[in-house]
Order: sequence, then structure tokens, then C-alpha cells
Amino acid sequence: MVELPPQKASVSGKAIVAEHLCKIFNVTKGMLRRNKTEIVAVKDVSFDVDYGELFGLVGPNGAGKTTTIKMLTTMLIPTSGKATVLGFDNEKDVTRIRERIGIVLGGERGLYTRVSAIDNLRYFADLYGVPPSVRDKRVKELLEFMGLWDRARDRVETYSKGMKQRLHLARGLINDPELIFLDEPTIGLDPEIAIETRKMIKELVEKGKTILLTTHYMFEADELCNRVAVIRNGEIVALDTPSGLKKYVMETSVVEVEGFGITEKEVARFRELAGVLSVSADLGENKQVLKIQTPKGSEIISEVQEILRNSRIYDIKIKEPTLEDAYLKLVTD
Amino acid sequence: MNHLRIFLSSAVFSFRAQFDWLNPSMYLTMKFVLSLSQMAFFVFVGLFIRGPEAIPFIAIGNALQSLSWNTVFAVINITGHDKWDGTLPLVLATPASRLPLFIGRAMIHVLDGLLSVAISFFFAAFIFGVNFGQTNALALTVAVVLTSFTMSGFGLLIGGFSFHFRNPLVFANIFTFVLLIFCGINFPVQDLPPQLQVASYIFPLTYGVTAARNAIAGATLIDISPVLGQQLAVGLASMLLGYFLFQAFERSARKTGKMEAV
Amino acid sequence: MPKTLRVIFSAFRMAMLHWMADPQWIIPNIIAPFVFTTVALTLFKDSTGPFGLYAVLGGGMMGMWGNTLYSSGYAIEFEKWQGTLEEVLVAPSKLLHVITGRAVSNALFGLTNMVAILLIAAFGFRVPLGIADPFLFAVSLILTLLSVSALGLIFASAFVLSRSAQALTNGLETPLYIVSGSMFPIALLPFWVHPAAYVLGPTWGVDAIRLATSSEYASQSFWTGMNVNVAIFLDLTVMLLITLAYAAMAAVLFKVVEKRARIKGTLVEA
Repeated sequence: MVELPPQKASVSGKAIVAEHLCKIFNVTKGMLRRNKTEIVAVKDVSFDVDYGELFGLVGPNGAGKTTTIKMLTTMLIPTSGKATVLGFDNEKDVTRIRERIGIVLGGERGLYTRVSAIDNLRYFADLYGVPPSVRDKRVKELLEFMGLWDRARDRVETYSKGMKQRLHLARGLINDPELIFLDEPTIGLDPEIAIETRKMIKELVEKGKTILLTTHYMFEADELCNRVAVIRNGEIVALDTPSGLKKYVMETSVVEVEGFGITEKEVARFRELAGVLSVSADLGENKQVLKIQTPKGSEIISEVQEILRNSRIYDIKIKEPTLEDAYLKLVTD
Repeated sequence: MNHLRIFLSSAVFSFRAQFDWLNPSMYLTMKFVLSLSQMAFFVFVGLFIRGPEAIPFIAIGNALQSLSWNTVFAVINITGHDKWDGTLPLVLATPASRLPLFIGRAMIHVLDGLLSVAISFFFAAFIFGVNFGQTNALALTVAVVLTSFTMSGFGLLIGGFSFHFRNPLVFANIFTFVLLIFCGINFPVQDLPPQLQVASYIFPLTYGVTAARNAIAGATLIDISPVLGQQLAVGLASMLLGYFLFQAFERSARKTGKMEAV
Repeated sequence: MPKTLRVIFSAFRMAMLHWMADPQWIIPNIIAPFVFTTVALTLFKDSTGPFGLYAVLGGGMMGMWGNTLYSSGYAIEFEKWQGTLEEVLVAPSKLLHVITGRAVSNALFGLTNMVAILLIAAFGFRVPLGIADPFLFAVSLILTLLSVSALGLIFASAFVLSRSAQALTNGLETPLYIVSGSMFPIALLPFWVHPAAYVLGPTWGVDAIRLATSSEYASQSFWTGMNVNVAIFLDLTVMLLITLAYAAMAAVLFKVVEKRARIKGTLVEA
């Protein structure tokens, strides 16, 4: 029988401690002449996650997000470095970690499509050692929670993408884990379903779960995460709260001016202004839109009104830097 | 789509002698191990039940049966099932234009078939003690070559039918085994129930096995020419029928726009 | 039910559900056994002796072999094709237990060949079929099934660990039919083949099954001259010991599979 430890109310220790994780794959290609190449998926990743935190790992494709998750979830043995998950070592206490975590890799795989949802969940429940007395009840609860109960006995191959994703999530929760890993949970989902999914993720954290999430939707990380680590080429280049990361690119707020009667002359004058980094202009027939990049932010408004005194100003918007801006800056330097 | 791929992958992998003949180890396994072990199995069963007299009959029968793989290769060539993606490359070429390609490639498989039979005869002689002393070499060679050729031609007919099957190559594989029952390989055709005996005479192999046995017993080419004549007739008829099936399929595919009959 | 058994049963049930969803998958695996047995039945016709017995039982055994070799051999690959291998590997239960459930189901489904042959033998060839000791027959059959399953586990891990092991399967099927004495007594085989036969657990099981089916067989069994029940007991004991050895080997091999998956991660193709 699996006995899960009670939810840790006080923070004594961390949910995850990753210390200098590194993963190098040796790939041999070719049938006759064996060429060996080394692929460095993760160079050096260190971070920690508190209990009850919703931690985000963002980065471009191939940066090492999925490999990092796999090392933390015992799917891969690190080439070097170590990880402590829920107080257990990821190489020595493999079974104990696996019993207590949930993993949702998502996508089109990970489910038996020729079989019903309920059979899928029952099966994984058994693999996770969920006691039989609890199993069927929990399967029902999860399917209801995910809105799949009335289709529970249908084969998964008849499910829509969104339904499959929800079923993945249900499977990730089948052992009532205290720590859940979500690898790009909303990728490829319709907006309404993605919104639903994010709502569910928030609810899980409210229930006391700890979640590590990877995504490359910045607005999602911004909306959900307590802290975000930006990973690039197998290394973490930044780790902070979303607002902390945004400060990193504070100097590039964007002032958007929508008006009429704005010509190249005015645009040129803006470009000459002190403190203006760049101006992009969309000079249409009925409307012109200028985007002025400047650290000055709202301070520039008086200058805008001055330069455009002979034109009509419909709207001035000041776009605060987004996490997306911060991210782009961090990964494209 | 995922499901179809899985089904095909599974069926493919549960297939004896996967068509990785391009892979040398697979090819050798097929040639030597498969033919020897199949022959051994039936020789021992025959020995057990009917005694040592059955051995030559069974050994020679199985040696010729190895030519049934030619049929299967022919099916692959003509339907273009070299690639395991479940799509018919007929979109690119019409069956009619594949005929020259088929004939060309068939020649290679005819030679390959001769090699298989030669190896099997070697096993029959040196492992199972079959007496080849009386053999009329010319008669035997003609019988084997003609069988190899007509069985490849039969592949055209099988290929024509195969479009109706989800997985044509499973069908072809099943065919090679079914021949063991119908073609007088392990027992005379007369041992079958009368209703089933009729089927035996559709297959060119049935005639070839008879001719080969007679040739090994010393019959001359003239002696076996009636049987060979029948075999040739059946072989050509099957090719013709196969060709018409292809035309029919191609016509209906053009009409319905479907490349696969489900 | 202890957790391990629960996992095995759950995997067995999942395999059963898959089989019911696509029963036709079994055909390629049992086509050879079916045809070989039909040939044997035809050869047996008009002969005196317990040949019908050989045909039917042999057919069942060969069906088990065929399905085990191919379905069990590809058991882990199956998870890969389904896209569920990673999820199964990361679950706390041992992969060995999961695949055991599948291997047992494969051996069991292989018996469908026996059912088909039974029908043909009874109605087509009018072979008299009667079982002398149904209880011992059942016990022997079940234990033989387990022995075949254990071999299936070795195949499953070997196929994942080595590409050449996969290529080997194509040549392995018919030799297994021969060496296991499914369709004829091993005594007929050259003496140097006998060790291979005796090392195969199921060979002993087949002997036991035949003994339990018909007294006519006693003269051809491994333990001629002995009391039938004692002979069966000895057969089953030997088979059990061999099966335990298989299980131990499989346990080691599976550990290697899991370790490799965690180091290379390439068991799963992206």
C-alpha cells in the first residue's frame, strides 16, 4: 500500500532542489560506419521550487525544458549534478519520487487510444498503486472534474484534442500527487479550452499542490507563475518573479500613438527626440499608428502632443513591458 | 491515422520473414534457417506418422514451396508495397506502366528463387538423405525455372486481389503458408477432401512439385512436358486475370478517387 | 491483492481489452501454427495411434509459441507505438510486472489456435478427443502457459536491447516448434538437439499435458515405465525450476532495459 506523506503545511525544505543538472546524450548514427555525436541537452541547471509554488520554466524549443523535467521526474539519469525531489534523491529513491509526483507530458501520445477513458485511468491507477478501495471513486471524481464523465466509456480515439488533454491531466492526478509536472499543458489547444486548463492549474495550486510548468506562452507564465526560470541552450539565464523579469526590460516600454494627419516629417522629429530608441510607423490613409520605444514611458506624452499639435490624436497607449519582451530580450541577445 | 499505423506496424512486425530482404542478415536467415527448419519440421512429422518413406516426398515438396516467396515479392513489386506507409504509390504510376518494371524485377526474383531451391535440395540430399542419383538434370531445371516464373506471375493475380485487403502483405504471407496445404507439398493432393482438391489445381506450384518429383525420379523432359504445359497455362491465365483485375481496380479508383478499397 | 499481482492483472486486463478491440491482430501470429497443424492432421489421417492428440495439443503449443514470440517479443515496442512507453516507465511499478501481464495474456491468446484446431479435428477429421485426467491436464496447461510467458519476457527485453535479437525471431519460430516436441516425440530428433529441447521449460509441460490426456502416450513420454502421476509431477517440477530460472533472467534483463531507458532516453523516439 502506498502511504503518501501528509501535505507539508510549513515550508521545511524545498519541493525541488536542482543542483547543476547536466545531460549529455551520446548518439550513434549510421548502420555501417557508426558516427558518434554528443548532444548537450542540458548544460548546467540549478534552481529550487518551494512547496505550494507554481514555478515556470520557459525557453525556446530545444532549450532543455523537457530534458530538465525528465531528469527531475526520474525519467532520465543526469550525466552530472543531482536533484532532490520532495526530499528524495532522484537517483537513489526513484520509486518514492514516482509514487508522489504526477507528470503530464501531453500531446497526442500517452494514452491508449483503442480503449476507454475509464479503462485508461483504472490502468494507470493500478500502476501507481492506488488502493482498490479508492481507485474507482477517484477515477470517477477526476473524470467528473475534467468534464469527461459522460464520455468516460468511449474510446479515447473518439476524443477531441481538448478532451485528450483533459484526460492527460486526469491521468497526471490519478495518484493524488503533491507535486505535478506539466510540460506545455496548453499547447495546441483552442483558446477556451486553454483558459479552462489554466483555471484548473490555478485551482490545483490553491488546493496546496506544487506545480512545475513549462511553456513558451509568456502570457501564460505571467498569469500563472510565482516565479519563472528562463532556460536557453541548456542553461538558466534568468530566474525571478514575472514582475522582476519585466523590470529587466523596463527601458523598453512602448508608447503607441494613433492619430490622423501624421506624416514622415513628424516621425522624423520623434526619431530625433532624446531618449527615443526607435519609432515604427504605420502611415495608413485614414489612420496612422506610431510605436515609440522609449525608457521615458509616460514622460514622453507632452512631447508627443507638442510634435503632433497640428494633427489629430485619437489615442495614446503606453504598453508596459511584457514578460514576452523580457523573454525575447533574454533569449535573443 | 495513428491507429492504422499501429495496426500496420503490429501486423508487419508479427510477420514471419519481414521484407527487410535488403538487410543481409534477414535475407540469409530466410534463405537458410527458415527453409531448413520448415523442411525439418515436416520431415519429422512425416517420419513420425508415415515412416521414412515419406521423407523424400516431403523434402522435395518443401524445397519447391520456397518458391512461394517469389509470389510475395511479385506482389510487393506490382503493388508498390515496398514502403510500409499504407499508401498506394499508384497515385504516381498506373498499374499498366508498372508491368515492365514488374517483369524486370521478376527476373531477379526468379533467379533468387532458383537459389532457394538449390539450397533446399542441398539440405534434402545431405541432411535428410534424399536420393538424387536418378535425377534428370535438364527436366528438373526446366521444372524449377518454370515454377519460379509462374509463381511470380501468380503474384500478379494475388496483387490484384490484394487491394481489397487492409493489409495486402499479411494476405500474401498467409498465402505462402496456405500453399502448404493445397499444393501436394507434404502429402498428395488426393489426401485432401475432394471439395478442397479443386483448389489445388489453381496454383502453378502444384504442377511444379509433381514435375520436380518425377524429374528427380528419372523422368525426362518429354515425360513431364504435359504437366509443365498445364503449369504454363495456369500461370499465364493467372497473369492475365491479374492484369484485368488491375485494370478494373484502376478504373474504379479513377472514378471514385479512392486508391484503397476498404 | 498484493500490489505486484494487481499490476500484473491490470496489465493482463489491458492486453485483453486491446485484443477485444482488434482480435484480428492475432492472425499473423497463428497462421503458421494453424497451417502446420492442419498439414499434420491431414498426414495423421488414416493412421493408428494417438496422433490426433499430437495434432491438437501440438497445435495449441505452437499457437502459444507463435503469439509469444511475436506479441510478447514486441510487448515493449507496442508501448512505444502507442506512445505510452514513457508514461509506463515513469510509473512506480516495475516494467517487468507490467510486461508479465501482457506476456501471460499473449500465451493465453495463442491457445485460440488450439480451439480452432480442435474444431477442425473433431468435425473435419473426426479425431476422438477425450481427456483422461482433466485436473492434471488443466494444471499442466496453466503451468506450461506460465513457462511460455516467462520466455516471452526474455524475448521482450532482448528485443529492446538488441536489434539483432529482433532479426533472430524470424528464424526462431519453426525451430521452436521442432525442439519443443510439439508435434512429434523428441526421440525422433538427432541426439545433439536433445539438450536444446530439455532446456526449454515448455517441452516438459507438453510431455505432462500429453500424459494427462491419454494413457496411450505413456510409452513415448520422458519417463517411460513410471506411474503416470509421478511422471507428470516430475515433468512439472522440472518445468517449474526452468521457469524460475527464466524469471530470474528476465528480472535482470528488465533492470538493464530500465537503466538504459533512463540513460539514453532513446527507447522513445520523438
